[in-house]
Amino acid sequence: MLDVERLSKIYANRGDGPAGGLQEANFSLAGATFFALLGPSGCGKTTTLRCVAGLERPDHGLIRVGEQIFFDAVRGVSVPMNLRRIGMVFQSYAIWPHMSVFENVAFPLRVARDEKFTARELARLVDEALARVSLDGFGSRSATRLSGGQQQRVALARAIVRKPRLLLLDEPLSNLDAALREEMRNELRRLQQEIGVTTVYVTHDQAEALEMSDRIAVMSQGRIVQIGTPQEIYFHPASRFVADFVGTTNWLTGRLGEARPDGLRDMTLRNGQGIICTAPAATPAEAHVSIRPENLALHAQGTPRPPDTNRLEGNIVFAGFLGTINRYQVDIGDAVLQAYAGASAHHKVGDRVALDFSFHDAVVLAE
Amino acid sequence: MTSDFADLPVADTTEAPPLHGRAADLFRRAWLGVLIAGIIATLVLPPAWTLLRTSLGTMQSDMSLSGVTLQNYADLLASPRLGTTALNSIVFATCATLVSLLFGGILAWLVERTDVPLKGLAYVTTIISLGTPYILYVTAWLYLLGRAGPFNDLYRSLIDPDATPFNVNSLAGMVMIEGFLWSPLVFLLLSSSFRAANAEMEEAARMAGATVAQTMMRISLKLAWPAILALALFVFIRNLESFEVPALVGMPGRVDVLTTEIYRSIKEMPPRLGYASAFSVVLLLIVSVLLFFYGRISRHAERYASITGKGYRPRPFLLGKARWPAACFILFNFLVVLLLPMLALLWVALQPFVRPMRWAALNFLTTKQFAAVLTSPHYLQLGVNTLIVAVTTASAVMLLTMFAGWLAARRQIGGVISDQLVTIPLVFPGLVLGVALLELALRLPFPIYGTLWLIVLAFLIRYMPYGMRYSFSGILQIHPELEQAAGVAGAGRGTTLRKVVFPLLWPAMASGWLFIFLLCAKEMSLPLLLAGPNSQTISVAMFDLWSNGQGGEVAALGLIWAALMTAVAATFHVVMRRQSATTFGH
Repeated sequence: MLDVERLSKIYANRGDGPAGGLQEANFSLAGATFFALLGPSGCGKTTTLRCVAGLERPDHGLIRVGEQIFFDAVRGVSVPMNLRRIGMVFQSYAIWPHMSVFENVAFPLRVARDEKFTARELARLVDEALARVSLDGFGSRSATRLSGGQQQRVALARAIVRKPRLLLLDEPLSNLDAALREEMRNELRRLQQEIGVTTVYVTHDQAEALEMSDRIAVMSQGRIVQIGTPQEIYFHPASRFVADFVGTTNWLTGRLGEARPDGLRDMTLRNGQGIICTAPAATPAEAHVSIRPENLALHAQGTPRPPDTNRLEGNIVFAGFLGTINRYQVDIGDAVLQAYAGASAHHKVGDRVALDFSFHDAVVLAE
Repeated sequence: MTSDFADLPVADTTEAPPLHGRAADLFRRAWLGVLIAGIIATLVLPPAWTLLRTSLGTMQSDMSLSGVTLQNYADLLASPRLGTTALNSIVFATCATLVSLLFGGILAWLVERTDVPLKGLAYVTTIISLGTPYILYVTAWLYLLGRAGPFNDLYRSLIDPDATPFNVNSLAGMVMIEGFLWSPLVFLLLSSSFRAANAEMEEAARMAGATVAQTMMRISLKLAWPAILALALFVFIRNLESFEVPALVGMPGRVDVLTTEIYRSIKEMPPRLGYASAFSVVLLLIVSVLLFFYGRISRHAERYASITGKGYRPRPFLLGKARWPAACFILFNFLVVLLLPMLALLWVALQPFVRPMRWAALNFLTTKQFAAVLTSPHYLQLGVNTLIVAVTTASAVMLLTMFAGWLAARRQIGGVISDQLVTIPLVFPGLVLGVALLELALRLPFPIYGTLWLIVLAFLIRYMPYGMRYSFSGILQIHPELEQAAGVAGAGRGTTLRKVVFPLLWPAMASGWLFIFLLCAKEMSLPLLLAGPNSQTISVAMFDLWSNGQGGEVAALGLIWAALMTAVAATFHVVMRRQSATTFGH
């Protein structure tokens, strides 16, 4: 449905603003996919989106939707943005303050070049779009007299009213408060499933990306560093950056030993203790291993160790109660590890505890 | 998965875009920028070139130019006039700047940072005075300080019946009048920077143990210094290129400055255009250098400005016993800047001829002058001329800069060059631009000389930079995503501009339009050089009437005109606020 090949856009550094840009981005989406571009600010995710929308002119590469080429640097093809038939929701919503809600939503139909709508058709389509975003009856409202969440819905209705081939969302939830953001997450996903439009969603919030997407591309410094399903990204991060950015993780450094027949490997930590971990074949001897805090089981000292697990011991240096869980930091001599325990756990700072984790949950990652 | 999107008609997706290929694409993006930059260049560059060319040529008897020579510059340097007029110009501009800076600055500090009473009066005085034509002020002061005026009259009746202690047609008189002319603007600009200053910096100094005086000297003044310096330079430049005061006050007393010297050599028979052009080029160079420094200082001043934007009112300094003496300063300002000149004008307008203020003269009060002005078709024609010029110019400037401002603010092709070209007229003093256009008009193949359109053209060039500021900052206030949303929604560039940008821009456009309209309606130096017998404007007529000694009619005409302009501005303001409220819903 959407194919992006070797897309590059280099910004000349003007001295002000973040140095953005995009290098050699490739991805290909099937129809009706919800695709998230995830990364820190300045990683090129918004640039990618704006190139697809036609708001930026890429330096190289190719963008194709279905059979139509939107942009091809080699052949010098660039379809102007107003002929691309794309729906987009901007970060600021971009609701025109001099038009009513109805006129805002009707705008794409009024300016359409290839189709003319009668007044009845137009009203029907606008009402339909407003109903989809649960804003029935808001048409005559002035666009400036809406709450943030309502403006968001108007922007969404405007983006889908012409049945676009592609829906682009540029951090649409970042201006909403926390409760509204969760509600809109569900609603956006439901809406996208209902109308089955291929959607590209830009966000720096890993929870949003994980919860809403079919596929995620993690970006860093202008490059896509990993593409995969939310589960692949979370459980099998391709690099240290991805593991750090998506979720929280603990890092241990050590030397890898012999490969074991079951695909696992020995590792000697810097404090001399040995553990067993999962590592790709061609990893340099000096390596970093990632362990998610939720995979660390925290026990009082002296509890028997379950089979197929590593055990590290240390002293609690920080204890925090978050309501649903307790969060601890444990100094194991070589590093300070973060671990979670249930709400009823009652370890104190200074307690000596054991941290158990499965061989498969300790993953060696490339830099 | 259910989808009403997947089954889009195939033809729709395979259709080729109407324009593609590199050349067509470049044309589509560039044509507007090239067009606008081209228009601006056509307006701005020829006057500069003409001026330079004339200053380097020898004028033949048929007004054609020949050869390239430095003769005009040699004449200029050999003439004793250059030294005296340049010196007069500098002394005049420096002293007048000091007067308006001290007067307006103290007023601004009192109103913004102390608990002085009568603050409202200071604002009213300033705003009314900004709407009044300069020439009207100048004539009022000429009467007040003149031979028959109340000051000399009072002195004569009280002390020495044969003396005339105040000679207004002197450098001192010029300095005083010019100083009062600019102090309202100084007041407005400095009070906004005093208001924006972060009071916490002063409070921090007070907490650290400094006295009020120490805080003033070491913190407030130091922080405001770049802004004050930039303002001083700006007023200095305006004084250097000012024409009204030197022409009306200085010339009769044979005190000449650079601008009046240029005017004289144009009005001589035959006009010495080469000499005037060389003089103009010298003035232009001085102004360019000063503007260069002004740009640097004001950029620096912006970095110093510590605006918090919290709408937080700093606690004013308490004046204590000095409150009422300080209030006298505000009263004095009201008296000098508004009440006295207006009373003087009214007196002059209500008398059959210019005479001293006496109780006896009350018997001769007459509305003859007002009647003469109101019934004369000549004055009606002048009013219509002025309105045609002002309306046409304001509309043309705003239309052109609307596109130029959009190109520049959105970094479109042609935007940067348009922005640079549009600022060039800033270095032209009004009179110099007049000289350049005069020469240009004489050489153009079509008969524009002596028509209103030449004046419109001159104003268009002169006020383009002002219009650009309004348009540019107006566009910057429109979030770019509002435009991008229209583009993504399917609107082309033209539709986006028409349906989204212009409706949102129009409040900024309207205030820019009004500003330029008022400036055109009161500016004198350009029309004075360019007006033909049938293309006179109000301010030119006032100058001529004054030169003919018809002070009463000047006063009557000026008062009626000032009232009309104030009414226009007020109506416009009210309508605009109401309109903007219905558009934007707040």
